[in-house]
Amino acid sequence: MKFFIQVIATVIVCLVLQLFLPWWSMALGAFGVAYFTGNKSFISFLAGFISIALLWSVFAFYLDFKTDSILTAKVNQLLPVNAFLLTALVGALVGGFAALTGALFKRK
Amino acid sequence: MKLVKVGVSLIITVGLVYCLNRGWNFGSPVPPLGKFLNPFGGFWQNAETKKIPDETLNLTGLKAEVIIRYDSLLIPHIYAQNDDDLYLAQGYITARNRLWQMEFQTHAAAGRISEIIGDAALDYDRTQRRRGMVYAAENALKAMEADPVAARMVSSYTQGINQYIQSLRYKDLPLEYKLLGYEPELWTNLKCGLLLKNMALTLNSGDKDLEMTNALKLFDKALIDLVWPDNENVGDPIVDNTGNWNFTPITIDSLTLALPNELVDVKPLEKSPPDVGSNNWAVSGKKTHSGSPILSNDPHLSLSLPSIWYVIHLQAPGVNVMGASLPGAPAVISGFNDSIAWGVTNAQRDLIDWYKIEFKDKSKREYKSDDVWKATRQVVETFKVKGKPDFYDTITFTHHGPVLYDERFKGDNEMKHFALRWIAHDPSEEILTFFKMNRAKNHAEYMDALNHYASPAQNFVFASVSGDIAMRIQGRFPVRRKEEGKYILDGTLMRNEWQAFIPNEQNVMYKNPARGFVSSANQYPVDNTYPYYINATSYEAYRNRRINKLLSEMSDITPRDMMELQFDNYNLKAEESLPTFLNYLDTTQFTQAQKSAYTILKAWDYENDVNSEGASYYEAWWDALFPLVWDEIKNAKVALDYPTAYTTIKLIKEKPDLSFFDITDTPTRETAREVIQQAFITGVDAIEKWKVDQKKEPRWADFKDTFVGHLLQGLPAFSFHVQHGGNHDIVNASSRRHGPSWRMVVSLEKTGVRAWGVYPGGQSGNPGSPYYNNMLNTWANGNHYPFQFSPDANLKSALATLTLKPVAP
Repeated sequence: MKFFIQVIATVIVCLVLQLFLPWWSMALGAFGVAYFTGNKSFISFLAGFISIALLWSVFAFYLDFKTDSILTAKVNQLLPVNAFLLTALVGALVGGFAALTGALFKRK
Repeated sequence: MKLVKVGVSLIITVGLVYCLNRGWNFGSPVPPLGKFLNPFGGFWQNAETKKIPDETLNLTGLKAEVIIRYDSLLIPHIYAQNDDDLYLAQGYITARNRLWQMEFQTHAAAGRISEIIGDAALDYDRTQRRRGMVYAAENALKAMEADPVAARMVSSYTQGINQYIQSLRYKDLPLEYKLLGYEPELWTNLKCGLLLKNMALTLNSGDKDLEMTNALKLFDKALIDLVWPDNENVGDPIVDNTGNWNFTPITIDSLTLALPNELVDVKPLEKSPPDVGSNNWAVSGKKTHSGSPILSNDPHLSLSLPSIWYVIHLQAPGVNVMGASLPGAPAVISGFNDSIAWGVTNAQRDLIDWYKIEFKDKSKREYKSDDVWKATRQVVETFKVKGKPDFYDTITFTHHGPVLYDERFKGDNEMKHFALRWIAHDPSEEILTFFKMNRAKNHAEYMDALNHYASPAQNFVFASVSGDIAMRIQGRFPVRRKEEGKYILDGTLMRNEWQAFIPNEQNVMYKNPARGFVSSANQYPVDNTYPYYINATSYEAYRNRRINKLLSEMSDITPRDMMELQFDNYNLKAEESLPTFLNYLDTTQFTQAQKSAYTILKAWDYENDVNSEGASYYEAWWDALFPLVWDEIKNAKVALDYPTAYTTIKLIKEKPDLSFFDITDTPTRETAREVIQQAFITGVDAIEKWKVDQKKEPRWADFKDTFVGHLLQGLPAFSFHVQHGGNHDIVNASSRRHGPSWRMVVSLEKTGVRAWGVYPGGQSGNPGSPYYNNMLNTWANGNHYPFQFSPDANLKSALATLTLKPVAP
C-alpha cells in the first residue's frame, strides 16, 4: 500500500516541480517523497524508478501524439535506442536512485 | 554501515545527475541526456503542429503597436507604424523561426565552429579568420554605423533578435542547441555584417590566381589562352550596348604587367563549386499577355536546411515590400513592392587578388613596399575548442590585407607568404541599398539605391509597374590592366595594387533594350566595346543561351510561362556535345549493357527530366570524361584549375589531337576519340554498378539524387532526398547539392502587383515543425505559391496573429 502511495506522491510532486524547475528537480522530489513514506530501500528504489518512468514516458507519449510523431521519428534516427525507452530509462534511473537515497537516509 | 550505504547511494544519484546533465564525446558526440530527454524541457518540447496560437507580447523599444499575421505558409506579414518598429519586429520574428541558423551561420563566418563541434572544425575556423572575415565585418559595421539610417535599421533589428533570445527558457531553445548542449549568445550589429560577408564569401571564392600561376609556369602562354580564355565568346553578354558607352574611362599607367614565373606549392582553399550561379530576367510589357512587365529570379546556392531564405512582407508608412530576406540581415534582398520588383544573380568578376609578401625577417614585423619597409599589424586570434584547450594563431595584416598562407598554415615553404586583397574587406553600406530598394518607386530610385552597393557584385534585374525593365551590374570594381588579377602579384611593388575603381555611373547597365527583355545567368557581362578589362574565374555558357533563345521566341507571355521557364530541364550542353561523342564511338566491341546505353542515348530528347534514363547515361559519361581529359590537371603535383565544360567540348570538337587528350598513365598516345571511348565504358560501368547497388533502373532523379542537407554536415535525420530534374548548366540548375534556392516571378500589373514564389524548405527552422520542409515537394515539382500581398492586415487565410505592444513606461 505504501508502495502505491509513494508512486502516486512521487508522480504528483515531481510533475509540479518539473513544471517550474530543471529536469533534475525530480531527483529532489523522489528523494523527499521516499524519505517521508519510509519504504524499505528496495521497494523505495522500485517506486522511484517506476514513478519517473511513468511520468516521463506518459508525458512524452502525450507530446508525441499531439504532434503526430513529427519529431520522434527524426530523433529516433539519432539515438541508439528508441526515444521513449531511453527517456523512460534515463528518468527512471535517476528517480530510482534518488528514492533509494531517501529511504536509506531515513533509516540511517 | 548504514551511513556508508547512504553515502554510496547519494554519490550514485548525484553522479548520475551530473553525467546526464552534460554532453559527452565517445567518438561521436552525445547530448546531455537528462536535459535532452526530459519531456518537460528537452527535445520533446520542440515538436510542433500546424496550428499556431494567437499571441500578444510586450517588447521594449517599440514605439507603437505592431501586428504580425502569419499566412498559411508561415510567412509573416508585418504591419508597423514606423521604420524602427518594422525592423525590430523583423528581427524578432526572424529569430523566432530561425535563431539557431542565424547564429550558426555567423559563427561559421567568424571562424567559431570549433566552439560548438570541437577541433574537427579548427582548420575551417583558422581559414575564416585568416581570410579576414571578422576584419571585413568590422569594416562593414563601421560604415553602417556611420550612416544614421543604416545604423537605426541594424540596431532595431538587433534589438528585436535579442528580445527573443532573452525571452527563452531551456525548453524553448531551438532543437540544435539542445542536441549540441550549448546556448545562444546575444546578437550584435557585427553579426549582421558577418552574415553579409559570409554571402560575399560564397559568391566570390572561386578565384584561381594560384592555380593559373602554376599553369603559366608549366604550359606556354598560347596554350593557356586556348584552354583558359578570358572570354569564350559564346552567346549574348548580359548587356550588349555596343558603341554606346559614352563616357571617358579612367586610365591608369600603361606599363605592361610582369607575369610571375614560379610554382606555388600551397594547398588552395576550398572553392565554391561552379554550379553556384543564378538566373534572372525581366520581359517588357510588349512581350506579355497583360501588357505589364514580368520579372523572374532564381539564385542557385547550396541546398540546405534550415533554408537560406526567409520570406517576409514588411509594411510601414512609406514601405510595402515582400520577398526573400536573409535571416540575420534586415530588409528584403530579392523581392517586390507595389511599384517595382528586383532580383539578383552573381556578377562573375575577379575581386580577389593574392600579393606575394617579402618580410624583412622571420618576425614578420616589417615588409617591403617599393623602397620602404612597412610595419605589419599582428593579431593573436584565440580559438575556443569544445572539449579541448584554447588554440592560438597569429595573423599578420599588411596594407593589402591578411597574410592567409604562411609557414604555419597551408604553405610548407617558409619563403612563401601570400596576402589576400578582397573587395569585401573594404567598408561598404549594402544595407542602405536594400533600405532604399525596398522603398523605390521607379527606375531612378532603383539606380540611386544601387549607388550604395559595393560587394558581392550582383547583376540587379529591374522591372516597374510604370513599364520599365533594366539590368545593372553593380559592385565596386577595380580598374584593371590587361591580365591583372589572373595570376599572383608582386606585393613589393605599389604599382601592382588596385589604383582606382570604376565609377558607379560607368558600370555595365542598360534600360529598356530593343529586344524587349533583359536577362543574366552569370555569363560574360558586356560587349567588347566596353572600355575596361574584365576577367573572372569562369563564365556560364549554357543557361544564358537557353534563356535568351526562349525569351526571344516568346510573345504573349504569362506568369505561368515564366514559372515554366525557371523549371526548364533542356540540356543544351548535351545537344551540343552528345552527337559528337556518339560519332566518335567505336560500337563494334560493345557489351550488351553498352549497346543498350548507346540505344537509350541515341533516342534521348536532351531533357534532364525526373524519369529520363538518357540524362543519367549522358551525365555519367560526362562525369567520367571530364577528369579523364584533364588528368594532367588532376594528377599534377601543384594545384591547377579545371577548364570549363564549354571549352572542353569545343576542344574535343575542334582540336581532337591536342596534347591534353593524351592519357598520361598509358604508354600509347590518345586523342579525343580514345578518351571518349574509355569514358563511355567507365560511365556505363558506373550505371551498371549503381543499378546493382540500388536495385533500380537509372531514372535521372534517382541517379542524381538531389539532397537537401541540414547545416550540421547534412545530419540525415533532419535532411531530405527529393525527386528533381535539371542539373548544373541547365536553366533548372539543380545538381546533387546545389540548385535554385529561391524561385520568384512577379507580374507588375497596374491593377496591383502579383507575385509567386517557392524555395526548397520552409519558413520554420525547427526540424520538429510541419513548416520545416512543407514547400520542398512543391519546389521539386516546379510549382510556385501565389503570395498574399495585401496592403492592410486583413489577410484571407491568416494562421495566427501576433500583436506586439510597447512596454508601458
